[in-house]
Amino acid sequence: MDLRDFYTRLSVDESLAEVMGYNPYYQKIDSGLNARILVNGHEMIDLASNNYLGLAADNRVKQAAMEAIKKYGVSLCGTPIATGYIDLFQQLEKKLSHFIELEETIILPSCYQANNGLFNCIAGPKDLIIVDRLVHSSLIEGIKSTGSKIRPFLHNNLEHLEGILQRSMGYRQVFVVTESVFSTEGSIAPFKEIVQLCEKYEAMPIIDDSHGIGVLGKSGRGILEEQRIAGYRGIYTASLGKAFANSGGMISGEKKLINYLKYYCSHLVYSTALTPAVLAGISSVLDIIHFEFSGIKKKLINKQRQIYEALLEGGFKVVYSKAPMNSIQTGSKEATFILNRKLYEKGILSTPFIEPAVPISEGRVRLIAGASLSQDTVDEAVAIIKRIGFS
Amino acid sequence: MEDRIIMTIQSVLDKRPLITLDSHLLEDLRVDSLDKLMILSALEDEFAITISEDDFADVVTIKDIVMKLKARGFFAGGAATI
Repeated sequence: MDLRDFYTRLSVDESLAEVMGYNPYYQKIDSGLNARILVNGHEMIDLASNNYLGLAADNRVKQAAMEAIKKYGVSLCGTPIATGYIDLFQQLEKKLSHFIELEETIILPSCYQANNGLFNCIAGPKDLIIVDRLVHSSLIEGIKSTGSKIRPFLHNNLEHLEGILQRSMGYRQVFVVTESVFSTEGSIAPFKEIVQLCEKYEAMPIIDDSHGIGVLGKSGRGILEEQRIAGYRGIYTASLGKAFANSGGMISGEKKLINYLKYYCSHLVYSTALTPAVLAGISSVLDIIHFEFSGIKKKLINKQRQIYEALLEGGFKVVYSKAPMNSIQTGSKEATFILNRKLYEKGILSTPFIEPAVPISEGRVRLIAGASLSQDTVDEAVAIIKRIGFS
Repeated sequence: MEDRIIMTIQSVLDKRPLITLDSHLLEDLRVDSLDKLMILSALEDEFAITISEDDFADVVTIKDIVMKLKARGFFAGGAATI
């Protein structure tokens, strides 16, 4: 045994970045998500962040965060079960529950932790977890930690899902896991039908609404509102760092479940609670959504459409999406990096996805045009995209 | 029987090239760990058997899958736990 061997094992395969002469990861951002962002000192158009509603640098949200810092300081230096459960925390739990119309909610430091922590509390080796083939890594990692039997179903394929459900006898509990908006594709799950199948086969539905909350539905309440799913009795998770423009993750559902997780979910019990600034920031975003959602959503859709049309005109292979994002099918990881770099060199920050984030050779470059981008900025992005496409 | 195995695997590998016994799971079919789980699940359903994931950890080609199933006496007939 030698420490050198240990560190040798930890080498990162950077061959792709070396061959391409470009590494899109861990780019240094020198500003907030303003009209233009500073990346490695260069002004760029942000089509990469998940700042859907454009509220990350909103003055009202900043003000709410600052007020919270003035009152509570920057941290309560404790987990929610200890000193982290301040009144802001409790109020936000109630506010979020009310917003998505489910009984109760817990708030974790991230949705990754929410998804990881959830599964090993509720499932074990006697259970079956049926999961959409394309769900996020956080769900897969959470599911794998349970020791349950895992059966993936073809992406958004109800027939395949029902076939598996029909043959799923003898388990203590069957879970069906999916996402509302698939973040690399922009495809939306037929969740209403999935819930109906779960009812038919007495399975427990679990939805990650990270890219749906604050975006989908008439008033931004997410997938349950969008697909008019009333009286949902399943489990719901979501990120608070995308449309909600802060950080954290939530798990919502029936009181009995949430109370259980409050004491048995290690990711909650042993993690320092979200800070007062973040709790107040999320609360402020909820207030803005309440009063302004329809106007913001119109802007968001309008911008997505302009980018979509520019991509089509530029000859890109774009996945049609009802969600406010555009996903370009790039194929190999090399082609994905090349397009991402071209955009970067012309002043657009985008998000590349290569395996294992997507299936092998199904690379994507994703563009999200947040609602707060000015028309001038969108015009410039449109011109750049077309130029790259025509070149 | 090989045809039935290939058809079953093809049914869960959408958008992939035509599968043959010589197809490599990774190089030809771009099968990742979740695809592999889907393949094993589909075979379990098709042949009413139970497959241990660990037993199939080292398969490289479709032929390897067929051989594993044969080696465990599946083709002798009847449902089995592998």
